[in-house]
Amino acid sequence: MKSDKHEVSLNYRSYVLVWLALIILTGITYGVATSEGMRLNGFAAPIALAIAGTKSGLVLNYFMHLRSERLQIFRIMIPLVMAVFFVFIALTFSDLAFRQGVK
Amino acid sequence: MNIMSEAGDIRDDTGAKVGMWLFLLSEILLFGGMFILYSAYRFKNPVDFHNASGELDVTLGTLNTLILLTSSLTMALSISAIQKGQRRPSTYLLVATIFFGLLFLLNKGIEWGAKIDHGIYPNSSTLLDRPRGEILFFGLYYVMTGLHGLHVLAGICLLAVMMAFILKGKIHPSRFTPLENSGLYWHLVDIIWIFLYPLFYPIT
Repeated sequence: MKSDKHEVSLNYRSYVLVWLALIILTGITYGVATSEGMRLNGFAAPIALAIAGTKSGLVLNYFMHLRSERLQIFRIMIPLVMAVFFVFIALTFSDLAFRQGVK
Repeated sequence: MNIMSEAGDIRDDTGAKVGMWLFLLSEILLFGGMFILYSAYRFKNPVDFHNASGELDVTLGTLNTLILLTSSLTMALSISAIQKGQRRPSTYLLVATIFFGLLFLLNKGIEWGAKIDHGIYPNSSTLLDRPRGEILFFGLYYVMTGLHGLHVLAGICLLAVMMAFILKGKIHPSRFTPLENSGLYWHLVDIIWIFLYPLFYPIT
């Protein structure tokens, strides 16, 4: 009966659980933001970015169904774009780090 | 695989989805470029960025994060519902998604309004009197949240079209790829916000 091939088997409950995890992670970010100690010792930025990475992983895998994607092309396409992006980051920062006297 | 699955209706759902992902990846590079610009300027002006971000309202930003995350949930549920043949719940969930999207924009408008009232907007004399790093921070703030806001607006329009399709019966349990692809776009806009949130609001 189902003719669309990429049938997704996630039920409502799993979506709500993922959403709950996202809300809790946002709460943690907010907690870190409002704690003076965390902001001062420099841990806030790496923690906040790690949380953002985890949250986007949840959205990609569950809401966007990447986890259940069987197509080979996704395994090439997405890492390739990420690799290009990291090359941009690496080149930009190696430039910034070794520049001298240029404002 | 699914070509000619219905009489006279030529379609390739897999191709449509891969095409959508290609577009989303180009969007990631578009915003990625701006994130790199942000990181580079922040690396050069750490104190100014810290001071300027302290002026943004973290509660309003967190509220908007919660709104957008919830809209992603209703979006995912709406697709799930149409797959199960529940047309009415799917429509309601889509209405909820559009509602949360509008709420996000309203909130964003209030936030921008407050900043503009304080004379902080691109090229304003109040802003230009400030240190260089703060000018850069607010410039990036307006461009990045503005472009993101445009994406939310485009997403809302797209979802409104999808809702019309569901009501007309053009999207149904055996043909939901357009709705699924719109959902992918909506979730990507959510992911971009997930990264904008900790970078602009006073977290770091």
